[in-house]
Amino acid sequence: MSLDNILNHWSDYRKGSEEGGHHDYEHRWAMAINLDLCIGCNACSTACYAENNLAVVGKERFEKGQAMHWMRIERYWDQQELEHPEQGASFLPMMCQQCGAATCEPVCPVAATYHTPDGLNAQVYNRCIGSRYCSNNCPFRVRYFNFYSYYESAWPEPMEQQLNPDISVRDKGVMEKCTFCVQRIRTVKDKAFMEDRPVQDGEVVPACAQACPTSAIVFGDTMDEGSMVSKLWKKHQVERGVYQKTRHAKKNADLRGYRIFEDLNVDPSVMYLERVREDI
Amino acid sequence: MAVKNRLINPGAGFARAGFAGMLFLAMLLVSSMAMAAKYDVVPPSGTHKGEDVPQPIEFPHNTHVKDNGINCMYCHTYARRSKVAGIPPTSKCMGCHKVIATDKPRIQQLTKYWEDKEPPPWKKVHDVPDFVHFTHEKHLKTLVFDREFPVEDVKEVCAFCHGELENMTVANKVKPLNMGFCVNCHIKNKDLGAPGDCWKCHK
Ligand code: SF4
Ligand code: SF4
Repeated sequence: MSLDNILNHWSDYRKGSEEGGHHDYEHRWAMAINLDLCIGCNACSTACYAENNLAVVGKERFEKGQAMHWMRIERYWDQQELEHPEQGASFLPMMCQQCGAATCEPVCPVAATYHTPDGLNAQVYNRCIGSRYCSNNCPFRVRYFNFYSYYESAWPEPMEQQLNPDISVRDKGVMEKCTFCVQRIRTVKDKAFMEDRPVQDGEVVPACAQACPTSAIVFGDTMDEGSMVSKLWKKHQVERGVYQKTRHAKKNADLRGYRIFEDLNVDPSVMYLERVREDI
Repeated sequence: MAVKNRLINPGAGFARAGFAGMLFLAMLLVSSMAMAAKYDVVPPSGTHKGEDVPQPIEFPHNTHVKDNGINCMYCHTYARRSKVAGIPPTSKCMGCHKVIATDKPRIQQLTKYWEDKEPPPWKKVHDVPDFVHFTHEKHLKTLVFDREFPVEDVKEVCAFCHGELENMTVANKVKPLNMGFCVNCHIKNKDLGAPGDCWKCHK
């Protein structure tokens, strides 16, 4: 993205989803996470660690907030005032929402994070200079910074053998976050290309969705009308580029879909399913 | 005459032809250029002086490719169906060399590996960094199979990135294979579907 390019195409670049977005999209990968099915077991998080070469940082650094969990399970008490176990825990798997109008993108001074024609929010590790602007501008707090060369201690021999060769091991000074398992998407797309056919729904399964014991996570392409994820988005009347705060006021128990911080108009690609009980 | 397909690498054609042949070739090319323009692939440019990589057996590519006309993909068979081109298993070498040139010292060296059931420790010559996603199969599909480029001439396509192996003995890296090299070629061949997205290659 040269300066020339930015100046000439700035208004294109900032086009929101309601205007078709700033790309000729090939795919728009998205998720639907059913919170009523989520039991907070952390299998998704563990799978993400294994799939994406995430470093285990140790207790001390974890307490300082330096954990590298691209997928984290947030735990909330429904009724804080009650005693355990009556408090009623609810869980929310939180990872990069692959925003259609990502706030992290325009602040990167070197365009290391940008939007791909797949509707993904990409992070190019080689390009990243570690300014951490993106992380500070992400409303979901899902970007993780390598403050140390974690690889030196995270995979003592022979554990380096378990590293996934399809994604690099990041070094100190680089930002990282959920990629929607882009390496799996890439593999499937390559296969489809070789077989001269489009990617089928259900072919790309990210590690978290694969590991989930209750199948709470559904992944797919919202540009493919017939995909499971499209149908779910449609069923719950969640649409890209549409701001729907009022929907919950309908008190329709069947419409459980919502996107977090939709009112910030960042256009997240992850829809959660859970009845919104309190007005925002 | 399937001239359209020959246009894949006019540069290589010129290099091989003598001056007299060149004139003839040029005429041929010009006359076919109009009808064949859409088949034109712009080869990547740039050279590199790679260090010699000593191999366990001094494998003569020239003998195999130039003198005997063996297709690159006969030995590097995975190139058309996987990410890596691969080094052939020793069994493939022995398929011929059980009977061919058995008196040559290099073949005897090879036979020894075969009998000891040891793979020769071949060294990788063309390597891209670990953070790069590169697939041979997609390149071959786009540049050869989808364009009906004659498969027997696949070495001209391989030469884009590997140099003219038919004139080398042990392989040597003669192309830079760095990001500029890849990106320039992708930009020039955008019409063939060469992607320009960072995440297509960076992983
Ligand atoms: S969730 Fe945060 S890191 Fe992910 S695209 Fe949105 S703003 Fe960027
Ligand atoms: S999609 Fe992949 S990278 Fe993202 S949270 Fe799930 S497993 Fe982790």
